[in-house]
Amino acid sequence: MIEYVDTLLPYITTILLISSIYAIFSLGLNLEWGFTGLINFGHVAFLAIGAYTTVMFNMSGFPLFLSVIAGIVLSGFFGLLLGIPTLRLREDYLAIVTIGFSEVLRFILLNEQWLTRGPFGIHGFERPLQDVIPYQHYNTFLLIVYLVILAIIYLSLERLVRSPWGRVLKSIREDEAVPSALGKNVFWYRLQSLMIGSAIAGLAGAMLAFYIMYIEPNTFKPIETFHAWIIIILGGTASNKGTIVGALVFYTFLSVTQFTNRFLPFTAHQMGAFRMIVIGLLLMLLMMYKPEGIFGKKEELALSD
Amino acid sequence: MKMDILSVKNLKKHFGGVKAVDGCSIAIETGTVVGLIGPNGAGKTTVFNLISGFERGVGEIVFKGIRTDNLSPFKIARCGMVRTFQIPRALTKMTVSENLMLAPKSQAGERIWDVWLRPKRVREQERQIREKSRDILEFFEISHLEDEYAGALSGGQKKLLEMARAMMIDPSMMLLDEPFAGVNPTLARKISRYICELCEGGMTFLVIEHDIPAITKISDRIVVMNEGKVMAEGEPEEIKRRRDVLNVYIGGEG
Ligand SMILES: Nc1ncnc2c1ncn2[C@@H]1O[C@H](COP(=O)(O)OP(=O)(O)OP(=O)(O)O)[C@@H](O)[C@H]1O
Ligand SMILES: [Mg+2]
Repeated sequence: MIEYVDTLLPYITTILLISSIYAIFSLGLNLEWGFTGLINFGHVAFLAIGAYTTVMFNMSGFPLFLSVIAGIVLSGFFGLLLGIPTLRLREDYLAIVTIGFSEVLRFILLNEQWLTRGPFGIHGFERPLQDVIPYQHYNTFLLIVYLVILAIIYLSLERLVRSPWGRVLKSIREDEAVPSALGKNVFWYRLQSLMIGSAIAGLAGAMLAFYIMYIEPNTFKPIETFHAWIIIILGGTASNKGTIVGALVFYTFLSVTQFTNRFLPFTAHQMGAFRMIVIGLLLMLLMMYKPEGIFGKKEELALSD
Repeated sequence: MKMDILSVKNLKKHFGGVKAVDGCSIAIETGTVVGLIGPNGAGKTTVFNLISGFERGVGEIVFKGIRTDNLSPFKIARCGMVRTFQIPRALTKMTVSENLMLAPKSQAGERIWDVWLRPKRVREQERQIREKSRDILEFFEISHLEDEYAGALSGGQKKLLEMARAMMIDPSMMLLDEPFAGVNPTLARKISRYICELCEGGMTFLVIEHDIPAITKISDRIVVMNEGKVMAEGEPEEIKRRRDVLNVYIGGEG
C-alpha cells in the first residue's frame, strides 16, 4: 500500500504539473480565440520564445526572475510584430502567418546552433531555488508554485474578460463592424489580445523549461498548438474554467494511455498514433453529444444573426 | 444662418459596372432632420457606408469641418457620427444589456491599465452606463429582454436593439438606415417623436426610410436619390408634389 502511494503520488504530481503548464498556455489562446475570435495556429511559437529566452538570458548572466520577465516580454513583443501586418486584414491571414512563423522559428532554433545548440537542445540550466529545495521534493515545490501562478492568471483573465475591455473584445469576436461604428479601435484591441495571449504563452514556456529541465526545438512542434485548440474546444470555447479542466482531462488522458501499451499489442510508435485516433474519436463524440464543451454555454450555440 | 455639419461633394462609388453612387452631393444643416429616400438600389445605403467610412469611394466628405473621406470608421465615429445598419447587427452571443453598454465612448474600463489601477472609477462608470441602458431599453419597450442573448431576439426587436445601441452614445449626428422598417406603428411614432426631441436638443439626423408619410412628417428636408444621383431635394411638401419623384418613386395618383 505504502509503495503504491509512493509511486502514485509523484505520478499525479507530474500530471498536474504538465496540466497546469499547458492550462496556462491554452488560457492565452482562449483569450485570443475564445474572446477575440483571432485564429492563431502558431501559438506554440510563443511557448518556444518564452522557454528559450528565459534559459538563454539566464545562462548569459541575468538573474532567473529577470530572465523569465524577458521571456514574457519578448513573447508579447513578437505577438505585436506578427499582429501589426496581419490584424488589419481578414482573420485567416493571422492563421497563415502564425503557423508559418512557428515553423520558421523552429527551423531557426534547429539550425542556428551557435545560439541555441540546435537539435542537441539545452540542459543543465538553473531552476528556481534549486539550491534551497531538496531534489526529492522539487516537483512538489514546483507544483505549488505553478498552481499559484495558474490561479493568478485565471483570476486576472476572469477580471479582464468581465470588464468593459473584455466587452469590446467579445464585440469584435461577434461582429467587428459594430464596435467600429461605435468608435472602438478594433485593430488596437486585437493587438492587445494577441500580445497578452502571447505573453501568457511565454510564461508557460519558462515554466515548461524549469519542469522538463531540457529544451530542444522539437518540443515546440505545431501539434502543441493544436493540443491547445483541442483543450479549448473540450473545455468550452470562451470559458477559462473550461480551459483549465480541459487541460487536466487532456493531459491525464495522454499520460494514462502511455501505459496502456502494456495491455495492447502495439509498439510505442503505434501507440502514439493509436492515442491520436482515440482522441479524434472522443472529440467527435463530444461534438455530437456535447458540442458546447464541458463548460461551454449550450444556449449560445443555437444563436444566429 | 446655420452651419452645415456635413457636406458631401460629388461622391462616387462603383462596384464593377454598377454605379451605386454616381456623383452625389448633399449638404446637411446642423440640428435638422434630413430624409433620404429613393427606390431600392438607388444607392442610399452605399452613401451611408461612404460617409461612415465603411466603404472607400471618390469625392469629398467634410464632417464638422474635418475631411473624413480617408478616415477609418472608428475615427469618424469618434468625431461624433454614429450610424445604424439596415440589416441589424446584433452581437449575438452577448446579452441585450451588454450590447448597449458597449456603446458609450471613452469608458475608463476599456483601457486595460484602468481596469487594474482605477477599479472604483470603472465600477462607478459601469453603474451609470447600466442605468442609462435601462432607461433606453425602457423607452424602446424591450426592458424585459435585458438579460437575453441578442441572438435570441426577433427581427423587429433586433432593429430596436440596433437603434437603442446607437442612442447610448450622444453623438452630434446620427445616420439611421430604415429605422421604422419592421417596427410596430405605435413604437415607430414614439421613435419619431424622440428623434424630433433630440433634434431640438441640437442633434442632426440623416434618415433613410421607405415609409413616406413617416419620413415626411419628421424631416426638415428630403433628398431623393435615384440611380446613384440626387434627383430632387427640398421641403417635404414640395417633394411630395414633384412630378418626377412621383413617377420614379412615390407613385402618382394618376
Ligand atoms: N458590396 C457591394 N458589391 C456590389 N454591389 C453592391 C454592393 N453594395 C451595393 N451594391 C449595389 O449598389 C446598388 C445600390 O445599393 P444600395 O444598398 O446602396 O441601395 P439602397 O438605396 O440602400 O437600396 P434599398 O432601399 O433596397 O436598401 C445596388 O445595385 C447594389 O446591388
Ligand atoms: Mg439600403
